[in-house]
Amino acid sequence: AQDKFTLRMAETWGPNFPIFGDTTKQFAENVEKMSDGRLRIRIDSANKHKAPLGVFDMVKAGQYDMGHSASYYWKGKVPETLFFTSMPFGMNAMEQYAWFYHGGGMELMQEVYGKHNMLSFPGGNTGVQMGGWFRKEIKSLDDLKGLKMRIPGFAGEVFAEVGVNPTNIAPGELYTALERNTIDAVEWVGPALDLRLGFQQIADYYYTGWHEPATELQFLVNKRVWEKLPQDLQEILRIAMRTASYDMLVHSQHANAEAWANIKKDYPNVQIKRFPDDIFQAMYNANKKLLKEAAAESEMAAKIIDSQLSYQEQSRAYSDISERAYLNTMAEVE
Amino acid sequence: MIGMIMFGVALVMLMLGFPVAFTFGGVALFFGIYAEGMDLFAFMPFRIMSVMQNTVLMAVPLFIFMGVVLQRTKLAEQLLTSMGRLFGGLPGGLAISTILVGALLAASTGVVGASVVAMGLISLPVMLAHKYDKRLATGTICASGTLGQIVPPSIILIILGDVLGLPVGDLFKAAVWPGVVLIGLYILYILVLTRLKPQTAPAMPSEDDNATRGQEIRAALLAIIPPLALIVVVLGSIFTGIATPTESSALGGVGAVVLAIIYRQFSFKMVWDAAKDTVNVTAMVFAILIGATAFSMVFSYTGGDYLLEDWLMMLPGEQWGFIILAMVVILVLGFFIDFVEISFIIVPILAPIAEAMGINMLWFAILIAMNLQTSFLTPPFGFSLFYLKGVAPPDVRTTDIYKGIIPFILIQILVLALIVIFPEWFGMSATY
Amino acid sequence: MRWIIRLDEGLSWLSKLCGWIACVAMILMAANVFYDVVTRYVFNDVSIAMQEMEWHLYSVVFLLGIPYALRTDGHVRVDVFYTNWSQKRKAWVNLIGAVLFVMPFAYLIAFYGYSFALDAYELGEGSGDPGGLPHRWIIKSVIPVTAFFIGTAGLNMVTFAIRVMAGDKQYEGEHSAGGLA
Ligand code: NA
Ligand code: NA
Repeated sequence: AQDKFTLRMAETWGPNFPIFGDTTKQFAENVEKMSDGRLRIRIDSANKHKAPLGVFDMVKAGQYDMGHSASYYWKGKVPETLFFTSMPFGMNAMEQYAWFYHGGGMELMQEVYGKHNMLSFPGGNTGVQMGGWFRKEIKSLDDLKGLKMRIPGFAGEVFAEVGVNPTNIAPGELYTALERNTIDAVEWVGPALDLRLGFQQIADYYYTGWHEPATELQFLVNKRVWEKLPQDLQEILRIAMRTASYDMLVHSQHANAEAWANIKKDYPNVQIKRFPDDIFQAMYNANKKLLKEAAAESEMAAKIIDSQLSYQEQSRAYSDISERAYLNTMAEVE
Repeated sequence: MIGMIMFGVALVMLMLGFPVAFTFGGVALFFGIYAEGMDLFAFMPFRIMSVMQNTVLMAVPLFIFMGVVLQRTKLAEQLLTSMGRLFGGLPGGLAISTILVGALLAASTGVVGASVVAMGLISLPVMLAHKYDKRLATGTICASGTLGQIVPPSIILIILGDVLGLPVGDLFKAAVWPGVVLIGLYILYILVLTRLKPQTAPAMPSEDDNATRGQEIRAALLAIIPPLALIVVVLGSIFTGIATPTESSALGGVGAVVLAIIYRQFSFKMVWDAAKDTVNVTAMVFAILIGATAFSMVFSYTGGDYLLEDWLMMLPGEQWGFIILAMVVILVLGFFIDFVEISFIIVPILAPIAEAMGINMLWFAILIAMNLQTSFLTPPFGFSLFYLKGVAPPDVRTTDIYKGIIPFILIQILVLALIVIFPEWFGMSATY
Repeated sequence: MRWIIRLDEGLSWLSKLCGWIACVAMILMAANVFYDVVTRYVFNDVSIAMQEMEWHLYSVVFLLGIPYALRTDGHVRVDVFYTNWSQKRKAWVNLIGAVLFVMPFAYLIAFYGYSFALDAYELGEGSGDPGGLPHRWIIKSVIPVTAFFIGTAGLNMVTFAIRVMAGDKQYEGEHSAGGLA
């Protein structure tokens, strides 16, 4: 008989967390079916391991064989991991997948994670994330000055450059804090997940996104565990992970469209807004400056940024005459 | 099955009187090493870290600090005795005042450890000094200190909103009436009990026999205002958005120190002693949390959560049978497991079944929240009971607290039953 | 016996030192949160570093408070039988509990907590948020440090129990925090 394997996987999300959790459940099911039961994935959600942001360390140390999380959470540990999720003014999902699988992205990612005894694979995409819920309309750069916003990570740094005060609020107190003007704005994900937190009840302005145009989750695999698997199971795992990421992108599109329709129907107070051009220009410049600083600090970061920017330029030129041209055309005729 | 045996062993060990926190931790250690090996405990630093980064729990030391300062400066006593005097010759005035102060604290925090301990510090000595029955006094404090779980803002509701995918605002609104009814029934219970047994909660003697009732009320009102103003500042800072609920507890602590200065009760020694008491009691609360997290870690990693899932799958498929049995299961589990575990293990299993039956999820969520509140109070593992015991004088026994809480648990079950049977009284409906 | 008394007093001094640090952290934490609220509301200014400092201090308060509360007997017990027992019997409960529960638990947390903190040190881990605090290994190392002191406080329970058995000391009440309320 052939050997059977069970891989324990820690996910950053709670149990039955929509879309993200569906992705891992479907993934585990696919792996088991494809391997005819020889490879099983046992998923532990955040309520079990209690360490949503400990997934990196736990997989690295072998406490878990696999993880499902997002690369940019590890920015404080390994700065170069930041670039494998999504970057402000960066590539969209299609372009970014092309970069991963055909533009050298995967190789760069393995180079970064290999040093930490892990392999990382794309693990599902949210699509363009919304720019956040604001209680006041933002009409000029001045309106952003001193604005208190829950916006973590690198995007928070960009916002800080244009005068926003990024603010930490415990997730459990976000709703109360926004409702009572302790903070002025909240960035979360997109309609499907934001709806659950109820921000539409207390904030009227929903801004379009720019800071996470294609948030890619990740599967982490402990390298020793990976090497112990027979080649056919490795291949099954690889295919299942790739399928999972595609499934999640599609699922996000579907769930967000549905949630957005519901918000429009039930909360007519909600208005979609886009930041004025001068704000975008200021944030674009700020982003560029921060990238330059990151590149100066680490050779590896410079290599990744360079790869992404040049790939984006070439890929975008084609997106311009294909996707964008099509959407523009549709906007004209409708 | 190891998880179940571990519960039994922990229960027996607790009775030996070794500190609760380390009994939990130690029992978990033996079962954990036996079933999974030492390396299971490599997860412990992560779990401790998640408590460290759970900033909502910062309210615990901060509220305790406020309570200790109010107690050391006698301002708490002044607040409660004056409120009690307002009730004149009516017995039970202090208990009712305690419930009202508990309700106010409940509206400013959702952290049970914070409010039970603060209430214990503020009102237990006063009630005992006025010859209240120990059981009545401790039961009142545990019950009103735990109100924070159902009165918004509430952590249970936020977690349930997350697990069930319901907007937090809707849950908060729906919880208001059940909370009010609960507070009302607590007060009614005190009134009825003291009518039947006045000696359990003696009326406050008048300070000055010659004063008219009018003068008495005026004097009482004057004495209430400063400490009440402090509580209003705490609450007000949340309602106006100056501070988050957690931060408001720091305003409470600093405010208490300011009050002490105004009343010439301030000294650096007082603040330092208050800090020492705060550290002592805070450590007691968090040691329990850490011991319990080791315990629940061993429980779930030895398959306890899967076992629970299997049991739940056997619940009946008809609406009323399902609701009633689900409530009983949650109530019974609440004797043993912490509410966060229940929300994350049980609720995801029950939710789709309830949804398929056409049950109104908002109503279902409120039922669960009411039920989980009770889990803090049920012996032997109700955390509120431990917390109060931790700050109570030695002559208040664990058994006093266990017995004292029973009437309040019955009231909660009554309210739960009312919400089940007459959801429309609470502005809800059972189905869509 | 003499050296037991010496050891007991030395260990007790360690726990009190933890308590002293936790008290300072407690006062600083209250001031820190108050300061953050005031600067945000009055001056509309937010510092993520100061916000993170809040939970750093709060962690020190409750973690280092644990060995201190072991020394002051502040940890809650179920006293159904315990209160009525003789001093000797209480001493046995505490001695056995310290050896079987407290010290092994402390050892495991110190052992795994050490590599937890070491990892953070080797990675140079810091906050991932804008303007957050660097050097996360410092706060992470409070975990093994606390565990070490919980271990010494456990040993202290043993020495104290021996003194009680020898008739040199007594358990007062069943915990001193009981004097609080
Ligand atoms: Na986001
Ligand atoms: Na509350």
